[in-house]
Amino acid sequence: MKKTGLPLLSFSVSAGFPSPADDYTEENIDLNEYLIQNPFSTFFIRVKGDSMINSGIQNQDLIVVDKSIIAKPGDIVIAIIDERFTVKRLEKKDDTFYLKAENHNYPDLHLKNYSNMQIWGVVIYSIHNCR
Amino acid sequence: MNAIALIDGNNFYASCEQSINPSLRNKPLVILSNNDGCIIARSAEARILKIRMGEPYFKIKERLNKLGVIVLSSNYSLYGDMSKRLMNLLKKNCEKIEIYSIDEAFISIHRPHNKDLSPWARKLRTLIYQNLGLTITIGIAENKLRAKLANKLAKRINYSAGIFDLGITNNKNSYLKKINVDNIWGIGTQTSRWLRSKGIKNAKELKDMNQHELKKKLGVVGQRIQLELKGYQCLPIEEKRNQKKEIRVSRSFSQPITKLEELKHALAIYAIRASEKMRAQNLQASAITIFTRTSHYSKFNYQKSAYKKLIEATNDTNIILKIVIELSKEIYHPEYKLTKAGVLMQELSEFTYFQKSILNYSSKNKSDKERKLIQTIDSLNNKFNNEVITWGIAKKNQSWGMNRKLLSGTSITDIEKIPTIII
Repeated sequence: MKKTGLPLLSFSVSAGFPSPADDYTEENIDLNEYLIQNPFSTFFIRVKGDSMINSGIQNQDLIVVDKSIIAKPGDIVIAIIDERFTVKRLEKKDDTFYLKAENHNYPDLHLKNYSNMQIWGVVIYSIHNCR
Repeated sequence: MNAIALIDGNNFYASCEQSINPSLRNKPLVILSNNDGCIIARSAEARILKIRMGEPYFKIKERLNKLGVIVLSSNYSLYGDMSKRLMNLLKKNCEKIEIYSIDEAFISIHRPHNKDLSPWARKLRTLIYQNLGLTITIGIAENKLRAKLANKLAKRINYSAGIFDLGITNNKNSYLKKINVDNIWGIGTQTSRWLRSKGIKNAKELKDMNQHELKKKLGVVGQRIQLELKGYQCLPIEEKRNQKKEIRVSRSFSQPITKLEELKHALAIYAIRASEKMRAQNLQASAITIFTRTSHYSKFNYQKSAYKKLIEATNDTNIILKIVIELSKEIYHPEYKLTKAGVLMQELSEFTYFQKSILNYSSKNKSDKERKLIQTIDSLNNKFNNEVITWGIAKKNQSWGMNRKLLSGTSITDIEKIPTIII
């Protein structure tokens, strides 16, 4: 994973007055630092589809997934069902887990209907392009 | 007491692919070398089908097809990134770490009162699987050599658990007997042949062999192997890797080349890459070698190299390019079909900018500017994932470039190529 490094152009100014703000410059805002707590287990994934629309995850969004987090009910997770990734909310009812879409056009996914369901990671952020 | 563990990723390349692509899980999968030449990695399911490592792809293409084996070109940026993540996670969970290869590391851990370290290993194994989707094998013992053996034993005795602590077993000899001499770390083909001629077949017999006879034939290296087999610690954990002796960038061409222009072009690209690599590791070279050769299978065999010693050590692409292009005339031969070429940066040392400017003060300003230019190019390339800016000579059309027809195209480091999932 790449961290944003030093400012790209760090040529020093050889003439003129020093900026009065020089002593007050702080580091740039680092989105990596803000979005990622566990860099070694965080992955970026692009999503297509509208099954999670009510949670704010929209078509073409970039989601940030932390694999180190152990999913709890209420978390939005990436799960593997029938050898495919999907994104849903993990819910628990009467001691059984199931996956819930955030769009009433999509049915809940119950473990008993699939031979193998596995949680791959927990979605911690969704990045949406507003233009 | 300290214990040493040798940790490696199971079927590493195949597992990296399977981790980020669930449709590849539980399926026979093989990964091909550069230019889709031969098989360099197999998933557990492909191993069961008795597909062998190193097998040339064209030879078994049909068989793979029939068996339904999935074939992928190697995706080194994915494996490299996963490796970095793995090593960093291991580092957080041990006292010392020596990264031994892309998927192997020795680590040192505290062992209180001869305690079984299997529970610790199980936890670490779960953590790595949870964080990366990769399965690791952990072999634990008193020293590096025995840890290597323990790792082998873990795979052999208890593959699904993937853990073996040789350090606390009582019947070590019976385990050492299970390892053939040619499977011992540091014993090559020739040595194992000699050992076998002396009746030494396994690790236990090597451990108990006459030490004078061993030392006479194999010197200190042999002595060290025997001492480690006995349980002494001779080889330290080297956290800071011994400085690389040379940096090599070489490739096979997808099609043979015959023109000097093509050879120059290829070597220029390798020279740019090699200089980048040096700068990334803060190294500089005092000598450069370039080479080219025909295919090993060709009837008309040709190979040639050229060497130049530099007056002043450097990692400056401009200087290195000039030298490499100059040298390329010396190794070119119009009558041969060249299939491989490479550049080697040699006599490496830590890059010291200061030294250079004192020696040659008048040109300090110029070299200052050049250094900044190259820094900017490096950081741009770094930021936008390679080669947005390069030297003119590298940007021509190439017909001989690397073949990677079966590349999955998925990346976890390039925002344009990250996995897309339908939700």
